[in-house]
Amino acid sequence: MIQVTELRKQFGKVTALDGLTFTAPEGQITGLLGPNGAGKTTCLRTIYGLLKADSGQALIDGIDASKQPLEARRNIGIFPDKFGLYERLTAREQVAYFAALHGLEKDAGQAAVQEALERLDMLAIADRKATGFSQGQRMKVALAQAIVHRPKHLILDEPSRGLDVMSTRILRDLLRELRSQGTSILFSSHVMQEVAALCDQVVVVAKGKVAAQGTTDELCQLTGESALEEAFVKIIGTDEGIAA
Amino acid sequence: MSKSVRSPIGIVWRKELKDAIRDKRSVMAAMSYAFFGPLLMAVAFYVMISQLTDPSDVEIDIKGAEHAPALIEYLQQQGIVEREKAWPAGQQPIELVIGESWADDIAKAQPAPITLTADFSATKQRSDIRRIEKAIEGYGSKLSFIRMQMRGLDPRVVQPIDLVKHDTATKGSRSAILMGSVLIFILLSVFFSGMNVAIDISAGERERNSLELLLSQPLSSHQLVLGKAFAASCFAMFGGILSVVLIPLIFRFLPLHDIGISVAIEWPMMLLMVLMLAPLALFATALQLFVSFRAKSFKEAQTYISFLLMLPMLAVFGVEFARLKNPVLYYLPLTGQHQALLDIIKGEALQWLPLVVSGVVTAIVSLLIIRVIGRMLASEKVVFGL
Repeated sequence: MIQVTELRKQFGKVTALDGLTFTAPEGQITGLLGPNGAGKTTCLRTIYGLLKADSGQALIDGIDASKQPLEARRNIGIFPDKFGLYERLTAREQVAYFAALHGLEKDAGQAAVQEALERLDMLAIADRKATGFSQGQRMKVALAQAIVHRPKHLILDEPSRGLDVMSTRILRDLLRELRSQGTSILFSSHVMQEVAALCDQVVVVAKGKVAAQGTTDELCQLTGESALEEAFVKIIGTDEGIAA
Repeated sequence: MSKSVRSPIGIVWRKELKDAIRDKRSVMAAMSYAFFGPLLMAVAFYVMISQLTDPSDVEIDIKGAEHAPALIEYLQQQGIVEREKAWPAGQQPIELVIGESWADDIAKAQPAPITLTADFSATKQRSDIRRIEKAIEGYGSKLSFIRMQMRGLDPRVVQPIDLVKHDTATKGSRSAILMGSVLIFILLSVFFSGMNVAIDISAGERERNSLELLLSQPLSSHQLVLGKAFAASCFAMFGGILSVVLIPLIFRFLPLHDIGISVAIEWPMMLLMVLMLAPLALFATALQLFVSFRAKSFKEAQTYISFLLMLPMLAVFGVEFARLKNPVLYYLPLTGQHQALLDIIKGEALQWLPLVVSGVVTAIVSLLIIRVIGRMLASEKVVFGL
């Protein structure tokens, strides 16, 4: 379970997080929905300990990443905001590198890598070097890196960027499968359909605060709107920076 | 999870090395410096030697040759002849003018005027001019000998001192001057060879947006930097070893004995040189990683590193030319290795204590720099450029 309590973060004069509080329980997909610049990426980076909150804390199964970063990171898979591949390594080698960093080497490592590659339907490109990979293929490599060590928590920052329909389906199936296995999944998005289609729980973030929280239906009821999009606009008070 | 968990340093090291070896640009950069540096030196030395040992005739303009046929004949014997071809562009003519009164003056035992016109500052012609001067002086003393004898005097009365020159320069110490410049190549090879890899695994990592994910893995930033530094040091050492092996090899093909220089570096010495370069390679890599982890792109890092390269050059050239002889130099990174290499080349006794101390100091300083980089990467300000 990921617990975020009263997170505050200031960059100079800009307040990125302003007392953000929510939880991402096990076996659920929690969507962090918000316009660009709402603080989604800052929040995720704080959870895995790359940024230090000014106050408040983020716990991963009770472990604070700002105090015990290595312990916290062992239990999470990360799909970051920006991801780059090592162009001279094959897809398999990249995934194996991250498996090794999580302590999966030799036979165990090979098996884990093979499983991740199969799950994402990337065996055809597994032994090709990353140069010349399409955006979708790159995304898959990054996803494979995030899940290769079968983490109990998965944190994804806008995972569906640049994915075609088939890849999006693979991603959704993967997330649902991981959910059924008890993984707590936290992902950020500004794409409404995505959130509506996948999430058990939606946390609407605006200006570094939680503007509303609940299931898609609850949010609609709360605002008296029938579609999530309308509900969303009503909650944050503007339709700026949101994609349908 | 697996039972035997290897240190993440080894995992990073192995991945970076694999990645770098596949990068043709990095491999070429490492090799080309080690190859072309010594080769360039060899060509320069070859030209220098052939100039120094040039036995060909000096061709100059001679005016008034008809007045002094005996002198002309003497000059010819000394390899100084009248020029028939035109002077090449950019070269000042050397001209010898014999006065009309030559024969008269000689007959009356008066100083006979002879004018040598040349650019005395031209380095290329210096040895030519020197030969002409010597030849004329030689002819002059030949004449005075004859005059003395004709007057019944012992010519030795005008030669009160006999300066006997004993050249104590051993072949080894003479070569030290030459090898001093070669040493600079060996020392700098560790700075040049790992440079490309160092940039690629630091600024390159940031540029291709893979740094954030890497820093979010369960390894400390210190372990990450150590793994990377070892990988880049391997490349630096590769270049270092190449130049240590290649330079003596290339010198074997140069006619160095013609100018009285002998260069013989035995295998144990070469091995020692390689051992000395190892901590230096780590030092070079640590410095390079320090600046290029701060850069946002490959290009930016290259700019910083080209400034950084001035540092070892200044240190080495500075010591070389200022003739600094402070004992502290034996213990510091870079200058310590430089002094020890100089001793090896000169064939002097090695000072083992300073040698070991400078190696250890170099390694410690490198590890400290790596620790600072690790701390730097734990800071969000540096990572995200806030």
